[in-house]
Amino acid sequence: MSSGRRGRISDDEINELISKLQALLPESSRRRNASRSSASKLLKETCAYIKSLHQEVDDLSERLSGLMSTMDNDSPQAEIIRSLLR
Amino acid sequence: MAAFKQDLFRNLLLGLRARTTEAACPFDAMSLQERKRAIKCSADVAMAAARRGVAGAAIGGRARWPKAILAAAAASSSSHSPGGTCKVRKSACCKRRVARRRVDAKRTIRGYAAAASCDVARRLVRRRTMALRKVIPGGSAAAMDEAALLRETMDYVVHLRAQVDVLRAVSAAVQRSTFLGYIFVLHFVDPMKD
Repeated sequence: MSSGRRGRISDDEINELISKLQALLPESSRRRNASRSSASKLLKETCAYIKSLHQEVDDLSERLSGLMSTMDNDSPQAEIIRSLLR
Repeated sequence: MAAFKQDLFRNLLLGLRARTTEAACPFDAMSLQERKRAIKCSADVAMAAARRGVAGAAIGGRARWPKAILAAAAASSSSHSPGGTCKVRKSACCKRRVARRRVDAKRTIRGYAAAASCDVARRLVRRRTMALRKVIPGGSAAAMDEAALLRETMDYVVHLRAQVDVLRAVSAAVQRSTFLGYIFVLHFVDPMKD
């Protein structure tokens, strides 16, 4: 990512991508318009957001795992799940 | 996105089914952590496979993160043990992280030599960009310019959110069916009759 390579991509294109990315982030982390300094803030927020999504996946996987273990093996829903996975 | 979620869900079931038959270890017999790892890894593979299946818009054809996920999963399935898949992926990430830190140090030294304020901002952006590469599958490996990385990030975020939605819906459904199962038993099985 040298400055030479950056010369090929216009600042406008980068700014457009940055504002598109900003639109994807949750409401609570919306900030002012993109400038050089808040570009780094946006990248930081994006990183944090992705990590929080990863954590959610982790928690949901754990919950699903637990739900499957509490199911009584003889129950009808356990049989349904088992047949889906067979 | 609805079609993507359906594909993801279908792939998830197929993946879980394949995992339990391959390992010759039914879900019931796994430990809580083993089952959790299986679900998590299947969900990632399901997401990546569903993304690749999308008929290529130009952006879709260029998305790298699905290939990175599938490559990591394929590499770890050859060294198969119940916890194998995610362990292998984790150690690969750690190796990459160590390499990154060394590169960072070199760049910081060069940065101190420069010392202009716009250079400081640029360094900060560079550091944040490298941090972003670490959380995006395949982000560290590929030689992506800033624009490509931003596009890749947006694509990944959108589909990662969908994965969360699907997992949430599935666990809600399982929870509901467990609850309904109890209700069924309580209402329709007359304890007096037996």
